Amino acid sequence: MDDYLIGVLSNIGVISFIALSAYVLLLTGEISFGQQAFFAIGAYAAGIATALWGWPLAAAIVWGAAIGAGSAILVGVPTLRLHGLYFAIATLAFAEMVRILFELLRYQVLIDGEWVGPNGADGFRNIRYIFENDISSLQFMILIYAVLVATLSMFLLLERSRLGVIFRMIGEDETLAGLQGISVARHKVLAAGIGGALAGIGGGLYAHLTTYIEPRSFDVMLGVHSLAYGLIGGLGTAFGPLLGVLIDIGLLEAIRALAGYRMIIFGGLVAILLIIRPRGLLDEKLVHKIGRMWRLILPRGGRVKLGPSGEKI
Amino acid sequence: MIDLVQNTIDGVMIGSSYGLLALGFTLIFGVMRRLNLSYGPSIMIGGYVGTVLYVQYGAGPLAVAGTMILGAAIAGIYVERLCFAPMRMGAGIASMVSSFAIWMQLEQAAILVLPRHTYPFPPLTTGAPLEWGPFLLRLDHLIMLGCALGLTAAIQFALYRTRFGLALRAIIGNPVAAHLVGINVSVAVMLAFAAASAIGGVAGFLVLSVDQQVTPMFGMWATLKGLIAMMIGGLGSIPGAILGGLLLGVVEAHCQWYFGPQIRDLAAYIVLFVFLLVHPGGLLGRAPGSDIAAPRTP
Repeated sequence: MDDYLIGVLSNIGVISFIALSAYVLLLTGEISFGQQAFFAIGAYAAGIATALWGWPLAAAIVWGAAIGAGSAILVGVPTLRLHGLYFAIATLAFAEMVRILFELLRYQVLIDGEWVGPNGADGFRNIRYIFENDISSLQFMILIYAVLVATLSMFLLLERSRLGVIFRMIGEDETLAGLQGISVARHKVLAAGIGGALAGIGGGLYAHLTTYIEPRSFDVMLGVHSLAYGLIGGLGTAFGPLLGVLIDIGLLEAIRALAGYRMIIFGGLVAILLIIRPRGLLDEKLVHKIGRMWRLILPRGGRVKLGPSGEKI
Repeated sequence: MIDLVQNTIDGVMIGSSYGLLALGFTLIFGVMRRLNLSYGPSIMIGGYVGTVLYVQYGAGPLAVAGTMILGAAIAGIYVERLCFAPMRMGAGIASMVSSFAIWMQLEQAAILVLPRHTYPFPPLTTGAPLEWGPFLLRLDHLIMLGCALGLTAAIQFALYRTRFGLALRAIIGNPVAAHLVGINVSVAVMLAFAAASAIGGVAGFLVLSVDQQVTPMFGMWATLKGLIAMMIGGLGSIPGAILGGLLLGVVEAHCQWYFGPQIRDLAAYIVLFVFLLVHPGGLLGRAPGSDIAAPRTP
């Protein structure tokens, strides 16, 4: 594989995490413009862990995920009392606050005669873990996809579990879910925490992929893009946001010949797509149809029946 | 003390442009219950039409202002027809994401037509600032404040004293009932959208003529400032939009003076965040109840 393809595929893999993170909240019916904050927090936390503290990569990624989840829960508790646009704008405000704080963050350590660490608006250079440990870009890409596949399988299990059903139920009708005895607030905060962890993992991988992060990369554009991926790809399944990322980055890279016109074409396509399919390509109806066809082929034992409140019967 | 007052004056002046941006924003939100992320970029398109007229044909500020307002209104209608009209009922998130896609499109179109990063924009006035005791007042700032107050009054009048305003308020109350009593909802909403973008165009022209340049980043700037001012003032409230803009301007001016540009931006978001947590209705808005993600009750 040539380096260019590896680069594009690695990018798709990393961005998939933040798309999934926005998707979890979309499941519960909340729009977040601020998932880039947890992506940034994960990136800085993991980068600091390997470059400054000499941690191994796996520990750093887990650390990034934990910090991402923790901060998402901390922000989620007060903000998730808000709904719709109010929540969306609160997350936007939070994410921009985080971005500016990273512009002010200076934490550098002298390593081998060189200052390493976040240096305000100039960014955080030399996150050299993959060079120092002789990890090739192909190996790192495989690592990204291994983590993505593991995360995705857990995610698909979650979607089929009682918890996943509860998330969708809250997304459909919060009041009704509440009347069924579901603690809406607690589940939303949980969804925010899962989203924060996913974004944190993605951020940690991103920091080590690019070896250089700067606050500017984590602006509103990234947040709105990650939100858009779920809607373009579809809200019916976790493959939806991945499809969205694939379409955006993959297709845009493929039609590089049209360089100057690509956003014009892409923007128009997305707008038209959303008129025809307001809940994305892989929306709930299509996923349900595919599931039904699948079950016709599979023997009856493979089915999971769900009771009215989502328990298996 | 002089600094304090001068900063407050400057803040009020700059804040009036934020207020104007919020005014257009809140009008769209009030009528549609939808967030139009392409609001700023539509204004930016108007600005680009203006700069072409200025650079190529040497047009004066008034002609530039006219074309810019017209350009912004047309771009606004384009956004409304593509992102909002096809999904008037429900699908609030889809409209918002769709307006984001069009934002990307408009920005790219602007860069394609005028590839340089900045383009000059005509100043409105070139005279020395007026002196008032120890304080300085810029004439273009005063015009900005006058426009903000005048347009707020005009919008308030149009909404509460004209038949068109009555129709819009009927649509805000209940679009289906409005349709049943013979209001052409589609056309009325489109006109409101165009009017809102035109107000944005006025705000954009005033800001750009103070800056004397236009860049593709202006779209994002206008969307963000309008959004912050609108939320601080209270979603859907017209006097609130202006008040929110003025408050934002004053806070920014002081923070800029004492702590520099980064803290200024930080402070704006902190004010917004705290308002949303403590008093989500903003200065003059009603407490939040309706949800843009939920379909409007038919």
